[in-house]
Amino acid sequence: MTDTTRKQQTLLLNAALDGELDAAGTLDMEARLAADPELAAEYRRLAGLRDVIRARVPRERAPDALRARVMAMAQPPVSARPTAPRRPKLWDASYRALAASLLVGMLLGGGVVEQLASTAREDDVDRDVVAGFVRGRLSGQSVDVATSDRHTVKPWLAGKIAGATTVVDLKADGFPLVGGRVDVFGQTPVATLIYQRREHQIALSEMPLGSAGGSGPSDRRTRDGFSLLEWSDGGRRFTAVSDLPPAELDAFGAAFRRAAAAEREEPSKP
Amino acid sequence: MASEFGHRRFAEVVLPHLDDAFGLARWLTGNRTDAEDVVQDACMKALVAIDTSIIERPRAWVLTIVRNTAFTWLAKNRPKTVVLTDDEQLLETAAARQTGDTAANPEESLIAAADEAALEAAIQALPHLFREVIVMHDIQGLSYREISATIGAPVGTVMSRLARARAKLIQELGSRQ
Repeated sequence: MTDTTRKQQTLLLNAALDGELDAAGTLDMEARLAADPELAAEYRRLAGLRDVIRARVPRERAPDALRARVMAMAQPPVSARPTAPRRPKLWDASYRALAASLLVGMLLGGGVVEQLASTAREDDVDRDVVAGFVRGRLSGQSVDVATSDRHTVKPWLAGKIAGATTVVDLKADGFPLVGGRVDVFGQTPVATLIYQRREHQIALSEMPLGSAGGSGPSDRRTRDGFSLLEWSDGGRRFTAVSDLPPAELDAFGAAFRRAAAAEREEPSKP
Repeated sequence: MASEFGHRRFAEVVLPHLDDAFGLARWLTGNRTDAEDVVQDACMKALVAIDTSIIERPRAWVLTIVRNTAFTWLAKNRPKTVVLTDDEQLLETAAARQTGDTAANPEESLIAAADEAALEAAIQALPHLFREVIVMHDIQGLSYREISATIGAPVGTVMSRLARARAKLIQELGSRQ
């Protein structure tokens, strides 16, 4: 056996021990172990080492004093906190509402008052939207139904969510559909579509608008470093979140609204 | 400094991984007092960075900062002990110098009989780049992919360092007198 294949075999042996091989690799390694006593002895030594480390080397615990100091760091500076603990949540929300409305005001030159009133509620939704997105990316399982066919996604969602979900094909615009899932915001199940752009994903959630309404302008903000884009059309609210640069998320929003409007005008087309 | 929201996020991201942060710092610096300094310093850095960071893997994110802080600390305080290179020849030489591998046939029973002190000494004797993968994988239970994200190296590098580190430990522990 050459040095290179021997080295390769050692790496695979370690990966097998660590459960990092796929099913095919595991089968192959089991066959090799059965046929090669020398390799099997190497495997037993590795397993013995792993077991003895697990059994006798304790996982460290941070000293209490250090934990206390780090927890103190997690407290916001005194100047940024309300003086009394009364209703901190309300204060919190209105503070951010002010910041958000200033930004929106500068961008749009209007709609500030309306924005102020709705931002506290939006903030909770934003948090859920971003959390859903991060969870999807972390698990590598961002969709419950994986298909690029909108005619599969739509009926799948219809079976789970009240009301029809707008599903459009944006492949031609460079945003292929990956699939859909059901998120839960607060207590409400919400339809979320996943679109792809290069290695990035966009999660688009659609929910009832609450108040009767037609269409509203798109509003972009960021949260935890993610871009969010929100708009309303036909009495429904759409919130898109992505790790894409903001400009590309804007392009996505524009493409989606265009395609959705075209679909509303031609309801006969499947 | 971080925003108010940043502080809350800091608590969510960093606090759950404080034990592993301290553990990694302890293994890299070699003692608990220095580890406390390193972790506290790393937490300050995390707090500054948190508002502008996209954090997909919180534990890897925290450990990366701890690791960088620890290596900076080592370069300043223990420059002679650190071999920071991907050159396998140099790592090999460093490992051989520290563990002195002579025995040809390590004994399974000797490995199984190693007590905490022997294990501690053997792991501590590994070069830092080997030691950290053993600590993260075998003691703290990180996956290859998480370690790869933490040390900023490909999974293949993680695998080969882990394999070499284990070979050294087996050699050392299996050939004790």
